[in-house]
Amino acid sequence: MIEFSDVRKAYPDGTVALQSLSLTAREGEITVLVGPSGCGKTTTLRMVNRMVDPSSGTIRLDGVDVSTQDPPTLRRGIGYVIQNAGLFPHRTVLDNVATVPVLLGRSRAEARSAAGELLERVGLDPRVGSRYPAQLSGGQQQRVGVARALAGDAPVLLMDEPFSAVDPVVRADLQDELLRLQSELGRTILFVTHDIDEAIRLGDMVAVLRVGGTLAQFAPPADLLAAPVDDFVAGFVGRDRGYRRLQFVGAGSLALSSFPTTGDGWLLVVDDDGRPTGWRQGDDHVALGTVHEEGESLRSALDAALSSPSGRGVAVDEDGKVIGGIEPEAVITLLHASAEPAR
Amino acid sequence: MLSSLIAWFGAPAQWSAAAGIPTRLLQHLGYTALSVLVGAVIAVPVGLYIGHTGRGRLLVVGLANGLRALPELGVLVLFVLLLGLGLTPVVLALMLLAIPPLLAGTYAGISGVDPAAVDAARGMGMTERQILFGVELPNALPLMVAGLRTATLQVVATATIAAFVSLGGLGRYIVDGQAQRDFTQMAGGAILVALLAIVLEVALQGVQRAVTPGTRARPASDPATPAVGKPDTVTAGG
Repeated sequence: MIEFSDVRKAYPDGTVALQSLSLTAREGEITVLVGPSGCGKTTTLRMVNRMVDPSSGTIRLDGVDVSTQDPPTLRRGIGYVIQNAGLFPHRTVLDNVATVPVLLGRSRAEARSAAGELLERVGLDPRVGSRYPAQLSGGQQQRVGVARALAGDAPVLLMDEPFSAVDPVVRADLQDELLRLQSELGRTILFVTHDIDEAIRLGDMVAVLRVGGTLAQFAPPADLLAAPVDDFVAGFVGRDRGYRRLQFVGAGSLALSSFPTTGDGWLLVVDDDGRPTGWRQGDDHVALGTVHEEGESLRSALDAALSSPSGRGVAVDEDGKVIGGIEPEAVITLLHASAEPAR
Repeated sequence: MLSSLIAWFGAPAQWSAAAGIPTRLLQHLGYTALSVLVGAVIAVPVGLYIGHTGRGRLLVVGLANGLRALPELGVLVLFVLLLGLGLTPVVLALMLLAIPPLLAGTYAGISGVDPAAVDAARGMGMTERQILFGVELPNALPLMVAGLRTATLQVVATATIAAFVSLGGLGRYIVDGQAQRDFTQMAGGAILVALLAIVLEVALQGVQRAVTPGTRARPASDPATPAVGKPDTVTAGG
């Protein structure tokens, strides 16, 4: 658990990076700090491992005031991932990952074998261990950066725009990978980004910061989308927040319709196992659009309906067999029903 | 001229006598090595400090340019007047020549290390000492060796001035040749200095390649490994 109490950071030239921040990053959760540049989010993160010291206020890590601890010792107990990975060019990938365990006094051989396992854990072929960072792609380097931060078994992870420098497809992979890892490891993660989509995707809690270093809103992502506190947050979470909110609403009780089996309209083509393969109308064939799988959110349900030529989306069970059709109206009805108790 | 040069190099006495080519070559190498070493003992720690802390950058630029502008022979005469004849004034004068490139190479090498790598090192809990010697220095080595190359070349070419103050080295052939109006001997000495410079240059290029990070253990079993290439951008980036 990381607790910020009335933390303020002002520089000698008078610039105030952070007004007065109080928030708590809960144990085992991903807390995202998001905001435009100049909002003090990186400064906030760097105060946890004393890369920056606050002008006033206290930061407690599991109840202990970090300012009472020796910086190198403190830092060895906190995982640290930065934007361009910051791998050491002169060391192999394996030795990069083994950095903190070696600093902590473990033997190099032991640290290396643990590092090999970590590479697999972050989705890399352990054979890359013998390469040098310059021989890896940006996405691979970033995975190594994450492995290196996990190597010390630190319960707390600081991630400063770790995925900002890679292309969108790789970024999405890395985000999925982080969520998968987090579901296995349950670390306390403080994550900084300027990308609200990333914040909403990854955060259990999201803190939106304003330029000048004030906290605008601290809430779970669904609440941020449903009820932004002011115009700044509303503007920052973006124009299609209504649509994006759908991803936080379960489609469990969605009313399904049945598909027509004959007629002049679009007919769903199904293979022998009951799995959908495409659409047919007379001699016209169209590929399947989005298919909504049981257990997914309303966002995929609505997208299934919108991407179907018949206007009726395909819902399947976990084996991929058709279980019914999705009318857009049913999605909207369920959305209204789910929003009501919250108001 | 060519035939007299061949005769000069071919004379058995040149290679066996106490004052023959091997002796002069070793003396010349000795002055060079000593001067560069003394220069490095001064320049490298200062360069490491300035590169790591970022303090005193202006000092490097000013000092390096100032020292480069000194007339070498004049400096040598000044040192001889102050200290008397002997090895010390020669080494001091040549050392002044070695310092600027060594200082600039060390400083540029350290300050050019990827700031993200240094930030990561600090953030993972390395002490400043561990950062300097474990991260910055190994990545600065190629530029430091480049500085060593420049320093060595300048010193090896200039070490001929040792002969002006009664010491040995390859400069003897040039100074004595001039005094005796023996141009063959002068040309022979100049060729030897040039050859020595080329040999040192090639050797130090090899050293520079060897210390360039990230290229030492490329897995031979993996032909799909992308070329490492750009060793300069690895260290000079940011």
